[in-house]
Amino acid sequence: MNAPGPCLRRLVCLALAAGAAVVVFPTRAAAVPAFARKYQTSCQTCHILFPKLNAFGEAFRLRGYRMPAETEDMVRQKPVSLGAPAYKRLWPKAVWPGELPGNVPLAVNLKFADVNTSALNEDGTVASVRNDFQFPQEANIFAAGTLGDHVSFFSEVTFGKEPDGSVSVELEHARLAFDSPFGREDLFHFRIGKMAPNVAAGFQEMWISTDAAIDSLFSFNPIGVRGGTGLAGEGSPAPISLPASVRGIEVYGIINHRVLWVGGVVNGILPASNDAGRFDGNNAKDLYARLDYKLGGMGLDGDMGGKEPPAENWRDNSLRVGALIYRGDGTSINFASTDLEGNPLNIQDLHFLRYGLYASLFVQNLNVSGALLHGTDQLRLFEPVSGGSLGIIQPDYRAWFVQADYVFYPWLQGTFRYETVKPFDPTVLSLRTGVWNVSALVRANVKAMIEYQRDLREGRNHSLNGLVRFAF
Amino acid sequence: MIRRMIYAIAFSFALAVTMAASAPPQADGSITGTVKVTGQSSNADVVVYVEHAAGVFKPAATPAVMDQKNMKFIPHVLPVVVGTTVKFTNSDTLAHNVFSPDHDKYNLGTFGPGLSKDHAFAKCATFPCAYVQLCMIHPEMEGFIVVVQNPYVATTNDAGQFTIQGVPAGQYQVAVWHPKSKAPAKAVTVVAGKAATVDFTLGK
Repeated sequence: MNAPGPCLRRLVCLALAAGAAVVVFPTRAAAVPAFARKYQTSCQTCHILFPKLNAFGEAFRLRGYRMPAETEDMVRQKPVSLGAPAYKRLWPKAVWPGELPGNVPLAVNLKFADVNTSALNEDGTVASVRNDFQFPQEANIFAAGTLGDHVSFFSEVTFGKEPDGSVSVELEHARLAFDSPFGREDLFHFRIGKMAPNVAAGFQEMWISTDAAIDSLFSFNPIGVRGGTGLAGEGSPAPISLPASVRGIEVYGIINHRVLWVGGVVNGILPASNDAGRFDGNNAKDLYARLDYKLGGMGLDGDMGGKEPPAENWRDNSLRVGALIYRGDGTSINFASTDLEGNPLNIQDLHFLRYGLYASLFVQNLNVSGALLHGTDQLRLFEPVSGGSLGIIQPDYRAWFVQADYVFYPWLQGTFRYETVKPFDPTVLSLRTGVWNVSALVRANVKAMIEYQRDLREGRNHSLNGLVRFAF
Repeated sequence: MIRRMIYAIAFSFALAVTMAASAPPQADGSITGTVKVTGQSSNADVVVYVEHAAGVFKPAATPAVMDQKNMKFIPHVLPVVVGTTVKFTNSDTLAHNVFSPDHDKYNLGTFGPGLSKDHAFAKCATFPCAYVQLCMIHPEMEGFIVVVQNPYVATTNDAGQFTIQGVPAGQYQVAVWHPKSKAPAKAVTVVAGKAATVDFTLGK
C-alpha cells in the first residue's frame, strides 16, 4: 500500500480521546477548467457542485477525458497535430502520430478557509482556534488533457501551508494513460504514474462533497501491539489503509456500458525513514482489484441506450454497486512502537488485506452513497536491537461511512456524512464522526461552503469552517 | 423602305447570333447540392463525383497543381481524372518531401523552395483511388489526391456546397469521398440545361 505523503493541511485535529487519535485530512479534490476551455463548456457539464462528478463527468473521466461519442467539432480548441493520421499505417517505419492540446492545458484551484476548531488534548485541556483566516489554504495547479486518440494525461501540483509555517509542494498526480489502445472502445485502459486509484472510485476526490476526506477509509493506522488504535496522525506512522494515492500501474475497462473492472499493481508502504531514496518500502508490490455494476441511469461510458438524459444534470436515477480488494505487503518495513509497559519494539505489517463493498444510489435530487471496509493485518513484533521475535498478531478492523447529498437548487447542495472505525484494540472505542456541509455555487466555478464536523464520542472535538474554492 | 428592311434583317440576325452565343449548351446539365459532414467542424473538402460515365476521358493537357505553402498542402484535397499529372510545387521558404504510401506508392524526394516535382496518376484499379500526401520532414502535413474516372467531379466549400458543371444528360450514381466520413452513393438524373440536386449527410 502506498501511504499518502506528508499531509499538506490538517484542518482539524480531533485530539486524543479514549486512547484513539482522529486526524481529519482535507480532500485533494480537483476541478479542471482546462477541459472547460478545451470544449468551451460549463463546469456543470461534468460536475454537480465541483468537484463532485455527475454521470457524464464520470464517463468523461473513465474514457480518458473524452466526451461520450466525442466528435471533432466538439473540441473547440483545436489540437496541434504531431503527425498526419496516415502515419499510423507506416508504423514501425514512422513515429505513431499524436497531438498536443491547442493551448497549454493548465488550470488553477484555490481554496480559502476560515478555520474554527476545538480539540481535546491528552492532558484534558482544550485547544481552540477561532477565525483563522487561511487565505489561501491551498493552491492546486493542474495540467490535463489528451495527446491524440488514445493517450491522456493528468498531473497536479499542490501548494499548501504546513502547521510549522512552511509551504509544502507535492506532486499529487502525474500519470499517463493509454485509452482503448486496442479492442472495443473503453474495454481496456492502461495508466501509469502517481494517481488516485480506481479501487476507491466513488468515495474519494471527485465524488466527495465535503472538504474533509473520508479518513475512516483512508487513514487507519494498524500499527500497535494491539493492532492499532485509530487514525494516523502527527508523529504516528503513515496510514496503512486503502490508499488515496498510488504509484504504479493500473488497468481498467468498461464492459457493456455497465460493468467497471479495475486491477492494479503498485508500490506499497513508503519507507519508514528516508531509505536511500527509495519510493517503495520493500521489493514487494501491492495488488488491488475492483468490480462495479451500474443499474439504470447513464452508462459508465456515457451510453444512454437511446434515451435522452435528464435535463437536470445532477440527476441519474441509478444504483451502482461495487466490490473491492487490496492486498499489501509490508515485509521488512519497520515501525517503531512500544509494548504496554512502554518498552520499545518494532513492528512489521507482513501482509494486510482490505476488502469491502461500495454502493451509490441516485434518486432524483438525492444521492446516498457508502462503503464498508474490512481490514486484516499480520503484524510481526520483534526486538529492535536483537531482532528477536516477540510474536505475531493478526488484528482486524472495520470501517464504514454513509453519505447523503441533496441538491436543493442547481447551485445549492446539502450533505451529511457519518463515518466510523472499529479498531481491533478492545480498549479503544469506535471512532465516530459526523460531517454536515452546505455548499453553494456563487458562480459555476466559485463555491462557498460551511462545514461542521464533530467527534460523536467527544463533543469537545469539533470544527466549523467556512470555505471558498474557485477554479480557473 | 429597302434600307429599313435591310436594317431589320440585320438586327434580327444580330439578335439571333447574340442569343445563340449566350444560351447554355442544351446537351449538358449540372449536379448541385449540399454535403453535411456529421461531427466535423467543416463541411469542406468532400469530393463529390459521378461514379461512372460512359466514354474515355483524357486528362487535362496541363498538369494539376498541388502547392506546399505555410507547411500545408494546397488544396487540401485535389480530385483528378485518371492519367492526370500533378505538379507538386514548393512555395515555402523551406524544403519539403512528398510521398504517398497508397496504391502504387511513390516518393518524390525532398525539394527546396521554388522547385517542383511531377507525378502522373496513371492508373486506378477501383475508383476512386485516394492518395494521402505526406511530407517526411513535416509529419503533420497532409493532403489528398483523389483519382476518379471522369471529369464530373467537384469539392465542397466550407458550407458543404458543390456544383458539378457540364454533365451530359443521363442517369448517374453520384458518390462522395472524405478522409474520415462516408455516405452511400445516390442516383441522380441529369436533364439537359437543368441542375439536378442531391444532398448528402456523411457519418462515421
